[in-house]
Amino acid sequence: MAAPTSAPPPPAALYRPAGQLDLATALEPYAGPWGVRQAAHLWRRAGFGGSPDDVQRATGLGVHAAVDGFIRFGDASALPAQPQLVDDRPNRDQLKMLLAAAPQAGAPPVPDEALKTARQALGRAHVRDLVAMETWFLDRMIASPAPLQEKMTLFMHGHFTSAYQKGIPAQALVNQNNLFRANALGNLRDLTLKVSQDPAMLRYLDNAQNNKAHPNENYARELMELFTLGIGNYTETDVRESARSFTGWGLTRDFTFQNFPVRHDDGTKTFLGRTGNFTGADIVQIIFTQPAAGTWFAKKLLEFFVYSDPEPALIDTVAALIRKNDFNLQPVMSTVLRSNVFYSERAYRALVKSPVEFVVGSYQLFGIRQSDLVALGALRRMGQILFVPPNVKGWDGGAAWLNSQTLLTRENFASGLMAKMGDTTWMQRMMTSMDPAGVSRALTATILQGDVSPASTAHLTAYLDGTGVSALAALSGENADERIRGAAYLTMAMPAYQLA
Amino acid sequence: MKRTAFLLGATSGLALVGHADGFFARALAQAPLDTAAGSAADRVLVIVNFQGGNDGLNTVVPFGSPAYYKYRPSLGVPANDVLRINDSVGLNPALKAFKDMYDKGQVAIVQGVGYPNPDYSHFRSTEIWQTAAPQQYLSTGWVGRYLDSAGLPPANLFNAIAIADVLPEVMVANRVDVAAIAQLNGYGLTSDKNKTLGRDAFHSFVSDNDVPFRSPYLAQVAQIEDHAQRGAEELPKLVADYKPAGTYPATPIGRSLALAAQVIGSKLGTRVLYVQLGSFDTHTTQKGTQDRLLADFADSMSAFYADLAAHGDDKRVLTMTFSEFGRRVAENGSRGTDHGSAAPVFLIGGGTKGGLYGRQPSLDDLDNGNLRFTTDFRSIYATVLEKWLQRPSSAIVGSGFDQLPLLT
Repeated sequence: MAAPTSAPPPPAALYRPAGQLDLATALEPYAGPWGVRQAAHLWRRAGFGGSPDDVQRATGLGVHAAVDGFIRFGDASALPAQPQLVDDRPNRDQLKMLLAAAPQAGAPPVPDEALKTARQALGRAHVRDLVAMETWFLDRMIASPAPLQEKMTLFMHGHFTSAYQKGIPAQALVNQNNLFRANALGNLRDLTLKVSQDPAMLRYLDNAQNNKAHPNENYARELMELFTLGIGNYTETDVRESARSFTGWGLTRDFTFQNFPVRHDDGTKTFLGRTGNFTGADIVQIIFTQPAAGTWFAKKLLEFFVYSDPEPALIDTVAALIRKNDFNLQPVMSTVLRSNVFYSERAYRALVKSPVEFVVGSYQLFGIRQSDLVALGALRRMGQILFVPPNVKGWDGGAAWLNSQTLLTRENFASGLMAKMGDTTWMQRMMTSMDPAGVSRALTATILQGDVSPASTAHLTAYLDGTGVSALAALSGENADERIRGAAYLTMAMPAYQLA
Repeated sequence: MKRTAFLLGATSGLALVGHADGFFARALAQAPLDTAAGSAADRVLVIVNFQGGNDGLNTVVPFGSPAYYKYRPSLGVPANDVLRINDSVGLNPALKAFKDMYDKGQVAIVQGVGYPNPDYSHFRSTEIWQTAAPQQYLSTGWVGRYLDSAGLPPANLFNAIAIADVLPEVMVANRVDVAAIAQLNGYGLTSDKNKTLGRDAFHSFVSDNDVPFRSPYLAQVAQIEDHAQRGAEELPKLVADYKPAGTYPATPIGRSLALAAQVIGSKLGTRVLYVQLGSFDTHTTQKGTQDRLLADFADSMSAFYADLAAHGDDKRVLTMTFSEFGRRVAENGSRGTDHGSAAPVFLIGGGTKGGLYGRQPSLDDLDNGNLRFTTDFRSIYATVLEKWLQRPSSAIVGSGFDQLPLLT
């Protein structure tokens, strides 16, 4: 059978914004107009959208103080450091014991009921823990006084992916998530080393099975292909030689990292042009001497925080910034978030909100401080399950979030949120008067910073007014709450609200 | 003709949404419309996913092999019960209705289908079958890439439909929006009290390009929202006149195939439909579960083709099954089977030349207790693409995969 060839990738730069990039001043500090639109843009990208008050405050602060507010993390110690897990290991051990006791074919089998019960118990524990983990992370994103810390954690979760599969204990994934949080604006080289020794990662990409006698190349390959360099910047020999170097990094019985010297291949390796008796730590060091490492992270950060399909020249400029700062994220993000290119019209609403951004942002918009199960179901139907990225590549993002099902789910989520919101304060704030036009202006200003057409505003006004529909009375004190909920839902269904 | 009702009024108007070099404007400019009657345009592909990994050995049973009964002491289907195809293999008795279809020449069975270095994870192997890329991580499914390449009318809301809660990866395309519909009832926007006004407002947003910002995604978001909303409103009306012939099993797959027949019979221009059933993940007490699922599949498929035939649609509908893997050859200690590799694939209906294809993998030459595949699954995809859908397959599933002679 011939070697398989892949389908062609989609046309390049399909989603690059229109207009010209001003490369020379791209990373210079932004000194243009600063208003609610720029402040909300910062909140959508560096955080998840924020509340109307958050956006107002940032508007008053100006660009530098507002960015400083994100870069200097607020004290998040009041938030739970981890979810309450049931720990499914007793169930797992029970099942293992039963299966081990299962005799060879031909002899009487273990009672089916016992196995079935053990499997079901394990399944229930698994689901309960997944719900607890998702809720915990979502609630941190909603309520954290350090939104950029949570945003970077989400970025890293989709970058250095591991999933709640392959028997990885829930606690190990929580620990990995907290590792991202602790290094949210830290050093990428240090983080990559820590990720290489992270128990969830050791299992997810099989390095726990990588030993001298039978090298397993899975981690070594993905480390370069997806985490640090990208295809074309290493050879198959580099994959094999680095896999040899990572041999021996494994897991103890209680699922913690351990270096097992007897499993390590002590021979000489040649990796990316260097030769020596390398360990995994050496491999990480060598990778970060490659020019491609800075380029790779520059592209990923631009795509996540600025716009899709960034120009190679812009990538190179950010890559130089990353190298100049020796892979420390804090100065890099500080520069990017206050740069001209970040506030340019080309970057404005030029990304698709991920489902998590949509859900968390909507909660923040209405001042709801806790998620619920409806949100988890909606996230699944929108294609983003926290702790279960689809594969090691993470979430593709961009156009991949857009199809009939995912957009209907967004609209239905917004509708449900409006229907069940108990607190009426928000609606009262929108009711500036009994004038439908005034109310629709207030709504579109609060939800979309005025990024709405006159035609859509007119439709909202007509809806609020009950014009032309016999079933609806004109806006009044009696129906205002319900009518404003409906109009807020319609505003959230507008295409602009799907964009970050 | 009702059909025009769901085509967006003025195709040229679409190009006005967003800026001129927007996504859909380019897609429109590039897409030739394939409208020739009697061509591939009339043909439908239905994909059935046996979720969870169906045990191929107890589906197409190698009762002629003594090794089969050695590996399957409690689970082996007794030779006398097997619905015989020839002297060595036959179908599980739960597939009786399906065997009747086979005997009429409506079913092609490809034996031993898999891929090199099989992955035993449900997640990854499902992804491999759906993206047709064992060595890469692709963001589109193989059907999605077909849809992108087929020059389908961009304004048709129902070029492809997944009858499922969540859009399966196999249908994910770059340029064609595929609707995921679990059932007609409940599809679309949840009720808000003031539906009527809301709907008017929704439709107005689509032509809404007069916004104070530009975004490379704006036109696409607007168009897909419009598709979704119109589709949810239109589909129940468009299929309302369809009268099913006969009854389907009152099971999820029965209902899914009934809806598929309804869509096909209503002639909406739908090229591909996806349905699923499961779970076939039979680690314990396999027989009860697998027999129930296979019988459900057989009865539903039989009802589906009877319904299609009564409406004159059976010749234009090809159905293909897949499952992420077969199961371990040796049964485990709890009358079940663990994750394995190669398994049979069924092709049913329009265009198939009934019979057995491929080679049954040897039970005497296993790979770590698993079957060695004899036909690469991409050979079947390539055959379906070239012969049935009449598209070049190399850009979709890669080149170098021999076609099988199982389609006319």
